[in-house]
Amino acid sequence: MKIEIRNLTKRFDGVTAVNNLSLTLEGGKITGIVGPNGSGKTTLVNLLSGFLPIDGGTVILDDAIAVKKIRPHKIKSYGITRTFQDIRLFEQMSVMDNILVVLTERNLWCALFECHNPGHLQKAEEVLRMIDLWDKRDEPASSLSYGQRKLLEIGRAVSMEARVYLFDEPFAGLFPGMAGIVESILKQLRNQGCAVVLIEHDMDLIRGLTDYVFVLDSGVLLAEGRPHEVLRDRKVVEAYIGN
Amino acid sequence: MDILTQLVINGIIAGAIYTLIALGFNLIYGATKFFNIAHGVFAAIGGYTVFFFFKLSGAALVPSILAGVLLAGIAGMLSDKLVFLPLRRKRGSSVIMLVASLGLFTALQAVIAIMFSNRFQTLTDIFNIQKTYQIFSGVITRIHIVIIITVVSLTIGLFLMLNRTKFGKAVKAISDDDEVARIIGIDTDRVIGYVFFIGSAIAGLGGILIGFDTGIMPTMGMGLLLKGVIASIVGGVGNIYGSVCGGLLLGFVENFGVWKISGEWKDAIAFGLLIIFLLFRPQGVLGK
Ligand SMILES: Nc1ncnc2c1ncn2[C@@H]1O[C@H](COP(=O)(O)OP(=O)(O)OP(=O)(O)O)[C@@H](O)[C@H]1O
Ligand SMILES: [Mg+2]
Repeated sequence: MKIEIRNLTKRFDGVTAVNNLSLTLEGGKITGIVGPNGSGKTTLVNLLSGFLPIDGGTVILDDAIAVKKIRPHKIKSYGITRTFQDIRLFEQMSVMDNILVVLTERNLWCALFECHNPGHLQKAEEVLRMIDLWDKRDEPASSLSYGQRKLLEIGRAVSMEARVYLFDEPFAGLFPGMAGIVESILKQLRNQGCAVVLIEHDMDLIRGLTDYVFVLDSGVLLAEGRPHEVLRDRKVVEAYIGN
Repeated sequence: MDILTQLVINGIIAGAIYTLIALGFNLIYGATKFFNIAHGVFAAIGGYTVFFFFKLSGAALVPSILAGVLLAGIAGMLSDKLVFLPLRRKRGSSVIMLVASLGLFTALQAVIAIMFSNRFQTLTDIFNIQKTYQIFSGVITRIHIVIIITVVSLTIGLFLMLNRTKFGKAVKAISDDDEVARIIGIDTDRVIGYVFFIGSAIAGLGGILIGFDTGIMPTMGMGLLLKGVIASIVGGVGNIYGSVCGGLLLGFVENFGVWKISGEWKDAIAFGLLIIFLLFRPQGVLGK
């Protein structure tokens, strides 16, 4: 899987949050996206997941499909999924249902009467055990702790069996034990050949986990390259200090 | 006949009727987050469809009822596709949606009046209104028994649909966070279309049953809608179980409220209850 972004632009009144940005996300790699607050990282994810309409530019999937308009309910069929910087779960549902809800063939007429098949239940169990929430499966999502909510959201993304994962600060606020789970999930997805995008402020994590890094500043690409080299770059250091 | 038992029975009957309207209203509110005033007119559409096929054209009862339910459902779904969906796409606020639904309500009600006149009509008395059954020391008519059984079955059916099926999970997901629902692959516009169909079909069935009980008028929708809305708010708006709770509470308060006074006070009591809830417990009995 490969996503090529060409001249992507997004303007809000007064601010150009993403400015003529071109970059490529490749399968089998964890790609870091870093940059000071307000540099456009989340906006980029919002554009790629159809949350915000694209003002200019093109997104090319697998060297084949060029899209200028991404409809949110289509991203599943493109193999793209994401998480949110401010966790967004289905609060009314149980932990288990938050996973089961994505494991659905969208044949609506059947879905009216059909219950989940054993395959779905097995998959949900697998994911919930991985994020250590199997024991909480029947509890409402709203009852979970911050870290557990973060993990559940990541688990929901993993259940989608996508090929491109956009993780917006998945480590933020996690204790080491939980961060370890997230880390192993990210590596596992990379080993499966998925394109994994990691937005992160902790440079040690970026150095330790990513294969390639893009640095954004005010919506433009400031630098790119292997993490050790890029993070030593003067421009990059200044952008962070200047913030 | 013991007055207390009879008041309980009357409370349950009224509660069942209000629940019938509130169920669909809440289902649609849950998915779309706006007060769909047009919901009331689908009850009238159901009632008049049966009036047309069964009473005027002499069709058989069951196909006529099916036609009424189906037509109300289709009209509801079309109202979404032609009016509410375009407004959602333009990110119309819930106030704009409410005003649009009021317009739709008025327009459809006028069409019914043009086709069938404004007169009050009765449906054929196949349930034999005069015949009553003894329950403990109170009485109940056959159509009221049918209404209660229908409401109980519908509530159980909706419960199973929302909790046991994938469709139900999609509806809940939309009601929780429609944007996230979309990115996990739910075609929210389509699901909401089906929700309108189901909710309006239930309203249609309500209109049919009420038609067999008391009769029909083009303007019957507004009165029903208002009671349904009060039941929804009292029970917890957007909450399916709140419909039952609110419907029954409203039915009981109305009927016990007029125990010692004239029955004309019923509406005043109903709106009094609404205001009390809006002031002191706006989230309703069950909340969200
Ligand atoms: N929906 C919106 N409406 C208006 N302006 C927005 C919107 N979303 C983002 N912005 C603006 O766009 C710019 C980029 O914001 P964005 O959230 O993408 O930054 P970020 O890199 O994710 O920052 P952080 O590290 O704090 O999460 C900011 O100036 C922000 O105020
Ligand atoms: Mg951000």
